[in-house]
Amino acid sequence: MDFSLTEEQVMLKDSVTKFLADNYAPEQREAIVKNEAGYSAAHWSTFSELGWLTIPFSEADGGFGGNVADVSAVMEEFGKVLVVEPYWSSIVLAGQLIARCTNQALKSRLMPQVISGETHYSFAWLEAQSCFSLSYVSTSAVKEGDSYRLSGEKKLVLNAGADHFIIAARTAGDVADEAGISLFVVDAAHPTLEKETVRLMDGQLACNIQFKDLVLGQDDMLIAEGEAYPLIAEVVDEALVALCAEAVGAMTYLYKATADYANTRKQFGVAIGSFQALQHRMVDMFMATEQCRSLLVRAQCAILDDSAERSQDVAVLKAMVGKYGRKVAEEAVQMHGGMGVTNEMPIGHYLKRLMMIDMYFGGSDVHRRRFSDMRYL
Amino acid sequence: MHAKFSPEELAFQEEVRGFMRDNFTPELAARIHHPKTFRDASIEWQKLLDGKGWAANGWPVKHGGTGWSATQKYIYTTELAAAGAPDVVPMGIKMVAPVLYSYGSEEQKARFLPITKSSDIWWCQGYSEPGAGSDLAALQTRAVRDGDDYIIDGTKIWTTFAQYADWIFCLVRTDNTGKPQQGISFLLIDMKTPGITVSPIISVDDEHHLNEVNFENVRVPVANRIGEENQGWTYAKALLTYERTALSGVGYCKRKLTNIRQLANQVSASGTRLIDDSDFRARLADVEMEVMALEFLELRVLSAIDSGGAPGMESSLLKLKGTEMQQAVQSLQWDVAAGFGGISPDADDELWESEGNRARREYMFGRACTIFGGSNEVQRNIIAKFALGLSAR
Ligand SMILES: Cc1cc2nc3c(=O)[nH]c(=O)nc-3n(C[C@H](O)[C@H](O)[C@H](O)COP(=O)(O)OP(=O)(O)OC[C@H]3O[C@@H](n4cnc5c(N)ncnc54)[C@H](O)[C@@H]3O)c2cc1C
Repeated sequence: MDFSLTEEQVMLKDSVTKFLADNYAPEQREAIVKNEAGYSAAHWSTFSELGWLTIPFSEADGGFGGNVADVSAVMEEFGKVLVVEPYWSSIVLAGQLIARCTNQALKSRLMPQVISGETHYSFAWLEAQSCFSLSYVSTSAVKEGDSYRLSGEKKLVLNAGADHFIIAARTAGDVADEAGISLFVVDAAHPTLEKETVRLMDGQLACNIQFKDLVLGQDDMLIAEGEAYPLIAEVVDEALVALCAEAVGAMTYLYKATADYANTRKQFGVAIGSFQALQHRMVDMFMATEQCRSLLVRAQCAILDDSAERSQDVAVLKAMVGKYGRKVAEEAVQMHGGMGVTNEMPIGHYLKRLMMIDMYFGGSDVHRRRFSDMRYL
Repeated sequence: MHAKFSPEELAFQEEVRGFMRDNFTPELAARIHHPKTFRDASIEWQKLLDGKGWAANGWPVKHGGTGWSATQKYIYTTELAAAGAPDVVPMGIKMVAPVLYSYGSEEQKARFLPITKSSDIWWCQGYSEPGAGSDLAALQTRAVRDGDDYIIDGTKIWTTFAQYADWIFCLVRTDNTGKPQQGISFLLIDMKTPGITVSPIISVDDEHHLNEVNFENVRVPVANRIGEENQGWTYAKALLTYERTALSGVGYCKRKLTNIRQLANQVSASGTRLIDDSDFRARLADVEMEVMALEFLELRVLSAIDSGGAPGMESSLLKLKGTEMQQAVQSLQWDVAAGFGGISPDADDELWESEGNRARREYMFGRACTIFGGSNEVQRNIIAKFALGLSAR
């Protein structure tokens, strides 16, 4: 048993921290979010130059050969300053779907673009009635000769400016079956595809897409027809761990920032941090963060050890991070008083981000249910 | 002991319902909930209520109040909330008016009460300062006597709707020598007076409710002072009690719970209903049970006032539990309605009216209700000290 970071991970974390310290002060972040793309293309290039985009890809694919722990180390630092560049959606989520797909021809064509950061891919999976179930896919892909005709709608696809979408579509089976799901890569500029951009509360730009009779070929499929579910489930599990690492970073910022504020803000002639009513609650914020960090380590180990309980551990992590992330952020707002509810202070932005992290791929209730079903039924 | 309405009370309930139905139209509702039309629509709404004689229902009858019993007040607020109608913007009718009719001069009453009631003047509340929030008595905005005027210098912050206000009621420091509470005066200031600058503060719901108000050499007639010099704290404290009783939000919680239940009962395309999920029902029930208790806490307070008592310590409990329940309801609403998004559309986007956006706005701004009007921590301190007799360290 060893939970310490490797030397490489420590160096990686340091390089991320250093870059962010120089480039991600709250005012700098605000300017970035206001960009048309919702993030900084210049920073994205820097991420590429610094090699961060290659982390989770194997050396054979031209990557750094890292794993979920390496990615999480980076994501945790991202969470501390609320990085908005689409690292998670392009590299961790869509990137891994491509890296682990079985269509070698497609993979060797796409991989270099993904790793270099030149082209953004985004996973389009969520549907209006899916209740966040990964296997609920009503988007259809009807086979006609060598091609497929796709019709459906996908919601809240991250990174509205992505160049390509990876669409989960049903080639067989009932709407919630795990079997019969396929993954297609489609150009975001495809004429049959309608796109509506929405700004999310955390400032990110997402899109809802709609398509009818969009024709794609066998070559556009990432994995054999109808067999995409296990790939999706595996990649999403790992991506959720990385997302929760971001959340733990954000929570870490919050309990520290709140303690700092409480030590400097004076009312009634003393620092408000001297009131025990607040001290105990800050201790609880810290404790909640460490509980989540422990579950993060647990889930990383489950993945790295290829544990049979990995999905269970990921569900628990996501459930607890959702619940405590919101709680910690709400407490931080409260203890900042009026300052906490202004957009000028960073605190509220962490609350918004943690609300969104809770929502992605299902909130804390959804994952508690997943856990209890796996554990008790 | 009973909680039944008399035939007269039932008739009154019907009257209120009918009034809401006829006057709080969906069109008005849409404008009042939209930031761009909020100001004008709020004035229009208060004028409609005033036309019926209900705008200033809590005032003494001689100033245009209704003389309603506690039960009638309860019926009124319940029906108001059930119709989704907001209460009047509180700063005029509920905050400054009680100070005016309790401590103001005859001239001040005659000048301000009628236009406050009819919404021909928009008030804002200038108490908090950057250095004086929970510790309000630490306020430093100075008022120095110069003949028949005071000269005001200082900064007020978190001033809700100062951008719309015609007048501001302020606590200012007129004496620095004694205990902080002793050197404070209560002034009414015309927002058009030279030297006043209002700067917006955007809150976490991405909207503009709050402001910083700066005073630089602002000349205010001494005649605009309420009551005695250096006695402002006494007047303000009385006012804070009124502010707190107005904050329980039981009606709001009940309406939201009804709305959440309706949403949860909708059958999705996949044939499921959220209400069939027992985890969800348990969460909903947890909140509802608390609100049921809160409703009767409020009734107990109202009934005590009715039989001649004053809003006392229970009013602190109401604000405390009431705001916590508002937030619980808002969290639940977020989970139900904002499940797809937490979107933050522009105010002229059609998504603005969506349930999801409403849930986001209410959740985000709702974080503030445990902070303003005396934070919940401060309320707990007050209750510990005065209701439980616990001594501070
Ligand atoms: C949305 C909104 C609207 C507002 N509108 C107005 C308005 O129109 N006019 C106006 O004058 N003011 C207004 N306020 C200001 C409001 O009254 C203050 O924010 C409030 O009094 C808290 O002060 P503060 O923000 O300085 O926080 P602080 O007093 O700095 O408090 C910070 C934290 O410390 C806690 N704390 C402070 N003292 C103690 C203690 N003794 N024991 C335990 N905990 C303590 C607080 O509860 C809080 O959690 C508004 C505020 C908000 C958020």
